[in-house]
Amino acid sequence: MKILVALKRVADPDNANKVKIPADGSTIDTAGLEFKPNPFDEYALETALRLTEDGTKPKVRDGEVIVVTFGPADTESTLRAALATGADRAIRVDANDDQLDGLLVAKGLKTLVAEEKPDIVLMGKQAVDGDTNQVGQALAELLDWPMATFAATIEEQEDGLVVGREVDGGVLELSIKYPAVVTVDLRIVSPSSVYSTKTDRSFKYNEGVRFSPLPAIMQARRKPLDTKSLADLVDDTGLKINYLRFEAPPARLAGVKVADAAELVDKLKNEAKVL
Amino acid sequence: MSEQRMGDQSFMKGVFHGDLAEDLIFPFPQVAKEEGENLSMILDSVSRFLDEKVDSAAIDREHSIPESVIEEAKALGLFGLQIPMDHGGIGLSTTAYSRIMQQVGGHDASLAVTLGAHQSIGLKALLLFGTDEQKERFFPTLATGEKVAAFALTEPSAGSDAAGIKTHAKLSEDGTYWVLNGSKIWITNGAIADVFTVFARTSDFEEGTKPRLTAFIVERGEGLTTGSNEAKLGIRGSSTTEVFFDDVRVPAENVIGEVGRGFKVAMGVLNSGRLGLAAGCVGVNKTLIKMALDRVGERRAFGKYLGEFGLIKDKIAGMLARTYALESMTYLTTGLLDAGVPDYSLESAICKVYGSETAWWVVNETLQIAAGTGYMEEYPYERILRDSRINLIFEGTNEILRCFIALSGLAGPGRELSEVSRAMREPIKGFGLLVDYAVKFARNRIAPGRLTRAHPVLSRETVLIEEYTAHLAGHVGNLLRKHGRDIALMQFAQRRVADVAIDLFALSACVSRTTATIESRGEEAAREEIDYTRIFAVEARRRLECNVVGFEANDDEVRKGAAVRSYELGSYPFDIMG
Repeated sequence: MKILVALKRVADPDNANKVKIPADGSTIDTAGLEFKPNPFDEYALETALRLTEDGTKPKVRDGEVIVVTFGPADTESTLRAALATGADRAIRVDANDDQLDGLLVAKGLKTLVAEEKPDIVLMGKQAVDGDTNQVGQALAELLDWPMATFAATIEEQEDGLVVGREVDGGVLELSIKYPAVVTVDLRIVSPSSVYSTKTDRSFKYNEGVRFSPLPAIMQARRKPLDTKSLADLVDDTGLKINYLRFEAPPARLAGVKVADAAELVDKLKNEAKVL
Repeated sequence: MSEQRMGDQSFMKGVFHGDLAEDLIFPFPQVAKEEGENLSMILDSVSRFLDEKVDSAAIDREHSIPESVIEEAKALGLFGLQIPMDHGGIGLSTTAYSRIMQQVGGHDASLAVTLGAHQSIGLKALLLFGTDEQKERFFPTLATGEKVAAFALTEPSAGSDAAGIKTHAKLSEDGTYWVLNGSKIWITNGAIADVFTVFARTSDFEEGTKPRLTAFIVERGEGLTTGSNEAKLGIRGSSTTEVFFDDVRVPAENVIGEVGRGFKVAMGVLNSGRLGLAAGCVGVNKTLIKMALDRVGERRAFGKYLGEFGLIKDKIAGMLARTYALESMTYLTTGLLDAGVPDYSLESAICKVYGSETAWWVVNETLQIAAGTGYMEEYPYERILRDSRINLIFEGTNEILRCFIALSGLAGPGRELSEVSRAMREPIKGFGLLVDYAVKFARNRIAPGRLTRAHPVLSRETVLIEEYTAHLAGHVGNLLRKHGRDIALMQFAQRRVADVAIDLFALSACVSRTTATIESRGEEAAREEIDYTRIFAVEARRRLECNVVGFEANDDEVRKGAAVRSYELGSYPFDIMG
């Protein structure tokens, strides 16, 4: 099985307060920010690894996992981390964040899919910076492939996947045929969320994504990392989504102390107007 | 003579003689891009392993690290960090290794000590002095942790004084093997180790004479037994045992280095091993600072947060500045080592002394901030305090290391460590040559050293370094001229010399690092580092003034007299009951 995993790096969500916006609101100042892989995309990589192995022998890869990101040269560290975790090779499509929107990334991925011919394209349900939640759906549409979004469980079948999606009141199970696009939600990295046909159903993974052994980190540098330009993949690199203006959320106002319950009720009713 | 000084390349040895060899410490060493990228991935893996798998409270309570945790650490690659890649290790530099030990040390002291005993010292003799054949034979299994290493130097009659070693090795008649007899105490990893670096005398024992020591690789097997785990104040999850050698046969090809040159091997191992310990102290300090900051932002007293009180702010500022100094000197030294500077013995001894004492101070102050809570077993403060205490003792007590810092600095550059050590054992005979050389050296100083590469924003701190470097060199010269070889006996003076040296190295490291930040990111971005450097400099100035005055005016003799008289009595002499 061949899986293409799309990864995005995002500003460290644990340090979101460091994000600065200049007074004219034209952009987001990324200077001094630390970057991390988008957590949902890390889950997608973990999913891809689980689908291409016997859980008891995680060092042996059955199939191929290719990771791709769209970004400037320093995003290669995100790809190397993915290679260290177990991906076989990596592709970086050279572009700056402000040259990209969801549709453009989907179009770029479409061309890569035509070149690589994966059985599955996996990615996070959304990136935690822009939260647009578009790329997976747009890609499936452009490819005219079946799609399963917000996957919480995946079981490999002979000719496709059974994907569990958590919906209100239960789990919706979809059976989809290869090739397909799947986006994953956070539950996908639970101990018994993903099973390849090689992994026994009694096997339990560690919760979360695996951490890379140190020798694998050192060897990751020897794995192939190709670079492509956006123009190689997409004819029209113009943006279809334009950001007009960025604004920081208003600072929280200081609270007030109320003397008694009566005053609280009064304020909730007349000031906050929630009662 | 100046050529010899340049060739010797120790910043601190230069300082003793008034030189500031600034090209050694500027620019502050940076981790190379590729290794930095690998290192951040490694730290990410290591941190997640520590957070998810290593329960320090349980390790302390159970007096052992669970087998599963050790196995996982091995699978991760934590046992082969500095072993070259072609021998199955990770092949990291000393800087990268130390940064990882910082991470582990900041999380769990027992695990850090276990890993450190294995590779900071246990297999370090092989790494530094082993032949290709020995490396090929031992490294693949040591790198994966399939085999664990230990360093066996200390004996009941030989702690800091390695010359008291009684364990002896006798060569077989056909010259193919040695027969080892004797015992070692307090050997970290004793119960779990398969491969021991053992120091034994290969000359007959004779009271008062210098023994010939030889280093051996000894595998667990017939004749080698280990005692039960010692119960300890701290680092309870680490294994500490006696090791016994009863007619243990060691193949001749298991000698590390040359026969009779074991002392050099031991010193080489400890010089580099001390840096791992200092890095562990950086990690402990960072963890404690986090705990203290959480505490002072949560706990309220008299209607305020603790953090709003002046005396708390004072403690926090001290913790930040001293940790910055420790971190700077530790990674300046690992950088020197990685750059191939051959002599870093003084610098690494300073890192060990300053690191262990700073961590002890920071843990004490953090416990004090938490007050009653800090004293309770239910919270981690007292455990970290117990765990930190060992750092002042092992890998050379801080007292011995202060004498070592002073004497090896006094002796001038290019001197063998064994000569210095012998000087401590046989002061008059052993130190004579050194002093003759050093006196000449001290007289030859002409112009005072300058730090021209420090950023002008730090001019006050730079002047302080220059001024006290001149003071140190002047007093060193005076001491040598006035007391000659007797200086080897004068531990009060040695301590002052060492303390001045420690502050000068710490301050130089801060200035070098802050200069690098100002130059790369501008003064505004370096604000915090400039402040930390200044806070540290003010603390250092007070100590420097006091120590320099003490060279001339002190009560050393009164103190010695009081101590000696009490030895006869054997107790405190007074009671208000008359």
